[in-house]
Amino acid sequence: MTAHLGQALTVSRLSAGYGETDILHTLDLEVPPGKITVIVGANASGKSTLLRTMSRLLKPNRGHVLLDGKSIHQMPTRDLARKVGLLPQSPIAPEGIPVDDLVRRGRHPHRSLFSSWTRQDEAAVESALTATRTLDLAERPVDELSGGQRQRVWIAMALAQETNILLLDEPTTFLDINHQVEILDLLVDLNRARGTTVVMVLHDLNLGARYADHLVALANGQIHIAGTPEQVLTEETVRAVFGVPSCILTDPTSGRPMMMPIGRHRMLDGIDAAEGSAQ
Amino acid sequence: MTQSVSVSVLEIGRIARGRRRRLTLAVLVTLVAFLFALTLTVGQSVTPISDVVRVLLGERVEGASFLVGTLRLPRALLSLLAGLSFGLGGVVFQIMLRNPLASPDIIGITSGASAAAVFAIVVLSVSGPVVSVMAVVAGLAVALLVYVLAARNGVAGTRLVLVGIGIAAMLHSAIAFVLSTASAWNLQEAMRWMTGSVNGAQLADVAPSLLALILFGGLLFSQHRELDVLRLGDDTAAALGVNNARTRITVVLGAVGMIATATAVAGPIAFVSFLSGPIAARIVGNGGSLLIPSALVGAVLTLAGDYAGQFLLPGRYPVGVVTGALGAPYLLYLIVRVNRSGRSL
Repeated sequence: MTAHLGQALTVSRLSAGYGETDILHTLDLEVPPGKITVIVGANASGKSTLLRTMSRLLKPNRGHVLLDGKSIHQMPTRDLARKVGLLPQSPIAPEGIPVDDLVRRGRHPHRSLFSSWTRQDEAAVESALTATRTLDLAERPVDELSGGQRQRVWIAMALAQETNILLLDEPTTFLDINHQVEILDLLVDLNRARGTTVVMVLHDLNLGARYADHLVALANGQIHIAGTPEQVLTEETVRAVFGVPSCILTDPTSGRPMMMPIGRHRMLDGIDAAEGSAQ
Repeated sequence: MTQSVSVSVLEIGRIARGRRRRLTLAVLVTLVAFLFALTLTVGQSVTPISDVVRVLLGERVEGASFLVGTLRLPRALLSLLAGLSFGLGGVVFQIMLRNPLASPDIIGITSGASAAAVFAIVVLSVSGPVVSVMAVVAGLAVALLVYVLAARNGVAGTRLVLVGIGIAAMLHSAIAFVLSTASAWNLQEAMRWMTGSVNGAQLADVAPSLLALILFGGLLFSQHRELDVLRLGDDTAAALGVNNARTRITVVLGAVGMIATATAVAGPIAFVSFLSGPIAARIVGNGGSLLIPSALVGAVLTLAGDYAGQFLLPGRYPVGVVTGALGAPYLLYLIVRVNRSGRSL
């Protein structure tokens, strides 16, 4: 796994947002190379803003996002696209486009105006389709696929880009639970087989804790806590980040921590929301 | 083993698609060539093909030289060039803004070029390249104006279209005003600047359009891969290494340049920009690049529209009236549909 030693993504004293208003406030983050980092947080905590700035969709107001010590906001767009891939929240598939044609577009940063399609391009596309188990869908129009299949195709496109770092903005939103697990398992496969550094924003805290090597909890545009799921997913964190009292259990299937929120109703005797929510 | 089989299946699919695409383009080119030849040979009277060819080769042919060389050829050439320009310039706007309504003839850019051209010709009494340059400048100015008025935390599609429609309406009344104050007011001229017409085309009109098509067309084709990727959304395009800002500026420059130059000669031929992209998307059907197909569809619409307006309909109409009659129902359909789903090209 020496391949990604020189592919360190770091965020340094970053303030960013839309227009003048900062959503992120002097935030520092080190992404462990070759690992899966999951960013969680409440709505408006800045998790999407962080991912968008890390992928250069958003310019920082202050601070830097560094790849191997160089600011990504000063690198040529195409160079960055060969090193960092991104799956945005709502990509658009042109009507009628077949799966393999969409995945082929992932080769864009590797091609120039007049270069023709090479063996290497074809091999990258084929390997991306195989890795995401979409090879038998290759001829089908993307708009006829199920939500889970479609998401696998988009991941295949990002894989065809052949980057060592892959960023994903809520890749499991709008998917049924079976497809959520399928997509997250797929990302673990890729991380293990290719050594790809994965950074993703997830809405579901429990799935995040299950799949993360490195869990980052955001609150109010700052990192509340980051570390292993065991270090991060605590009653204190859930209260600070989501403003809800909770009970932390051990997920009997994965051995990772999981969280059950405590509400006002449907609670057993002795479990009291008021006690928890007295902040 | 299964691996190598699937590789070839994947490759076969790609090759088959390439073949289908070349076939589609060949059919479109043939259609354009047929309509071009039809315009040269069959009008009120039929000129034998042999005579047409001799005229094209520069020979003097009794009865055919004037009819073909002076009347029909400039008309056919101008229809062809304007059609290609409107088709190509239209679709790149629709792709870039990911909205079929955001075509230059709907959002006022063509009207701006037309207003500048009619002002230059009727009020300033200039002609030739100066008119083209003024049209291009006005087209760019309108593009900038629409952009500035519509921009608010990024350009939202619907607001841009509405602002553009408003500006187009203003420019239309400006055109009508200039025409009504002109001493040399006549119906032919009025029709040209209101809906577009290739009546009275001259060979001298063709040169600037050809030059603009080559120059600005080259600019657009330098961005054809970027445009293909932009169809996946701005974020995806940026993630794939497209410099969105640079692509936008290049595309606006190229598209406005070619459309405005064509408008300076043929007027704002109604709805050709607007219709070509969606028709081409239907024909291509599989998300393949739309630039060349749309240009060809634009040429088909313009040549066929002009021919129908001259010879197939009761009475004679300029091309813009015919294409306008085709485009208006589609516009209505889109406005109704876009409110429900946000899909575009």
